Amino acid sequence: MTDKRYGANFIHRQSFIELDARERATALIDAGTSRELLGPFERVESPWLAMQGVTPQEDDGCVVMKGKIAGQAAVVIALEGAFQGGSMGEVSGEKMTAALDLAYADSKKGTPTSAVILLETGGVRLQEANLGLAVIAELLGSILLLRKYAPVICLSAGMVGCFGGMSLAAGLASYVVMTREARLGLNGPEVIEQENGIDEFDSSDHALVWAIDGGEQRFATGLIDALVEDDTPQVVEAIRRFVGEGVPTVHRSSQVTLYRSRIGALDTSRQWDPKELRTLWTAKSATEGKQ
Amino acid sequence: MAQQMLGRVTRSWTTRRDEKRRRMQLVQPWMKGPVLPTARVIEALGTLIVSGDSIVLEGDNQKQADFLSRSLVKVDPGKLHDLHLIISSISRPEHLTLFELRIAKKIDFSYAGPQSLRVSQLLEDGKLEIGAIHTYVELYARLLVDLIPNVVLVCAEQADAEGNLYTGPNTEDTPVIVEAAAFHDAIVIVQVNQIVDKLPRVDIPASWVDVVVEADSPFAIEPLFTRDPRHIDELQILIAMMVIRGIYERHQVHSLNHGIGFDTAAIELLLPTFGESLGLRGKICEHWTLNPHPTMIPAIETGWVKSIHCFGSEVGMDKYVAARPDIFFLGRDGSLRSNRVLCQLAGQYAVDGFTGSTLQMDADANSSTVTTGRLAGFGGAPNMGHDPHGRRHSSHAWLDLITENKPIVRGRKLVVQTVETFQKGDVPAFVETLDAVQVGKHAGMPIAPVMIYGDDVSHVVTEEGIAYLYKAEGQEERRRALAAVAGVSPVGRKAVASETEALRKKGVVAYPEDIGVRRLDAKRSLLAARSMEDLVAWSGGLYNPPARFRSW
Repeated sequence: MTDKRYGANFIHRQSFIELDARERATALIDAGTSRELLGPFERVESPWLAMQGVTPQEDDGCVVMKGKIAGQAAVVIALEGAFQGGSMGEVSGEKMTAALDLAYADSKKGTPTSAVILLETGGVRLQEANLGLAVIAELLGSILLLRKYAPVICLSAGMVGCFGGMSLAAGLASYVVMTREARLGLNGPEVIEQENGIDEFDSSDHALVWAIDGGEQRFATGLIDALVEDDTPQVVEAIRRFVGEGVPTVHRSSQVTLYRSRIGALDTSRQWDPKELRTLWTAKSATEGKQ
Repeated sequence: MAQQMLGRVTRSWTTRRDEKRRRMQLVQPWMKGPVLPTARVIEALGTLIVSGDSIVLEGDNQKQADFLSRSLVKVDPGKLHDLHLIISSISRPEHLTLFELRIAKKIDFSYAGPQSLRVSQLLEDGKLEIGAIHTYVELYARLLVDLIPNVVLVCAEQADAEGNLYTGPNTEDTPVIVEAAAFHDAIVIVQVNQIVDKLPRVDIPASWVDVVVEADSPFAIEPLFTRDPRHIDELQILIAMMVIRGIYERHQVHSLNHGIGFDTAAIELLLPTFGESLGLRGKICEHWTLNPHPTMIPAIETGWVKSIHCFGSEVGMDKYVAARPDIFFLGRDGSLRSNRVLCQLAGQYAVDGFTGSTLQMDADANSSTVTTGRLAGFGGAPNMGHDPHGRRHSSHAWLDLITENKPIVRGRKLVVQTVETFQKGDVPAFVETLDAVQVGKHAGMPIAPVMIYGDDVSHVVTEEGIAYLYKAEGQEERRRALAAVAGVSPVGRKAVASETEALRKKGVVAYPEDIGVRRLDAKRSLLAARSMEDLVAWSGGLYNPPARFRSW
């Protein structure tokens, strides 16, 4: 046995990755409290995809579910990675922004409403280019407003991962939760390879990609708050915990000095091994930075 | 007087032996026993091989004598040219560089998967002449008949100072290549990963080996038999459910071979769940001839599998295989001994059935994986996917396919083809004419390169249902049965509802509901493993997937 993680329990786990966006959102909300907002039967779909030969979807790949988590008001916004790679279009982006704004309004009125954003996305939907970019800017603003009143929790479970503009959303979140199968990064591996060549980054080298972008590495270097197994009860437990913790004293994205000094202290003239960064940037040192 | 009439020739009977001795003497000064220093390899190849020779280069389905092939392209083409290359799998770019440099001229091969496009181009440019495209066993059989080599270049994991070889779990094709050479005065040159004092076991004895050279890096090997369960979709699961119920259960298929693909991976992963719920453990799928597919792990761990004989090994499976000696064929050292030729033979003569997927099928169930512009060859599928008429022993499944009531009848091997009615996009899998016909004409092949001939196919399974082709009476009914499961493809659109209804009543066609399979049950949750992580877990951590299959 090379790893004690593997056993009968692992085989019989309820995989969270196997769930689609709607099932994921439902799984996170307290049983019997969920209702979907602007669901597929409202038939609000992207007007831009059909004219480019792409079949649109009637929820535009974004599921908004209102309900309670651990007894507290919450909204879950889940991107469907199977539809256009979870990309952000005009409609899906507006759905997400509006949901965050409603949560902000409720929170301000005295009902703190946490937001859980399920990120399986490569970022902007290329077919909707500027509209996608604009909407991401809007929703980042909405996250900044809401996070003062209630926690914004980002979860990336896999297998798409979270890249591009939406990695900024994860960056602004109060808490980020990942599985070891998930990946988080600004530029996706394929993009880096395409722009800077295979010597810079070989996107087919899974070991390399996960060593840098994978959940384990992101957790070990203190860039996220929890690493969970691909197991629905474990994912649910982590989200409930962060909803309970409420707004953090200091958000990660406010710790500008800490992260600047980390990057500044790095000798970029040599190639670092991702494992070395784990000792250099421990999860612990990030917590200390919050003091 | 009698002697005159018989025309007895006066000649030397030792030309091959003399020539081998001559060449070996030229390299003798560089060698220590059978061991050649790594740095001398290019010179030695240029000396031991002579223009016009027939050579075998070990390029198997999986392992590659890549140090020797990379060295051979560095030999001066002015000195060495016009070789006849015999290779089972054209896998590496340098295999074809030999033709661009004109070191080699003619090729006899089985499979050209990754290099198939370049083969077509070189053929068109007149730089490559094809003897024939074979199946694996045919090519190896011809090494003993009319393709007898002068020099063979093979690979092994380890050698000792005397030249005994340990091939490791991926024995694959090495024994037959060396056999054909060593006993007919050809020169046997072996690249090894390592020269050691004591071998774990001897796979090839030193007296069959002439030259051993330590390679600059371990031989290349590809994980060709690994399928990530994450990519198995619900159509494939539905097809797998139908195969289990409508074919394996119905005919009591005890021994079998599976091709490689997501359809068959789905079947393997449904045995411990769907198969178990039908109470089929111990009744079907006990004895296998196939590589250690990682997707077999759950079925092995749940007691479905009694034995597996392998063509080759699979990257990452060595530790797991070594820990299951009751199931696999292992050496005294504890590691797998595979053998492609013997496993192919077993897959032809000893199993009840073969199941494999295909990409294109015509109205007569002829199928092919040939795509326009590529000469991919055959590999081993046609050997598995046919009914060997030389079989004489019977089994329940073999007898169950008898349809005639005559004093003399023969049983039949099950040849099951799974195919989704449409490939990716809107390309129909069922077509009027196989692409292979055009490709064959274009490449000047004497006959169209058909992977599995329709008359060998006993069952076709699509997401629509099963066509029990062996039961069909006459060509017309056979075509109607196939059309009934061919969906809205050009072939399927010829189906007439009333005829299909009659065929279902007669049992020549079955839709899922006819065999107790509920379409809505075809969910990924039915797979015993849904990810590579699950397979690792089932193996108790013994399976170590190659990096490209890891997503953690």
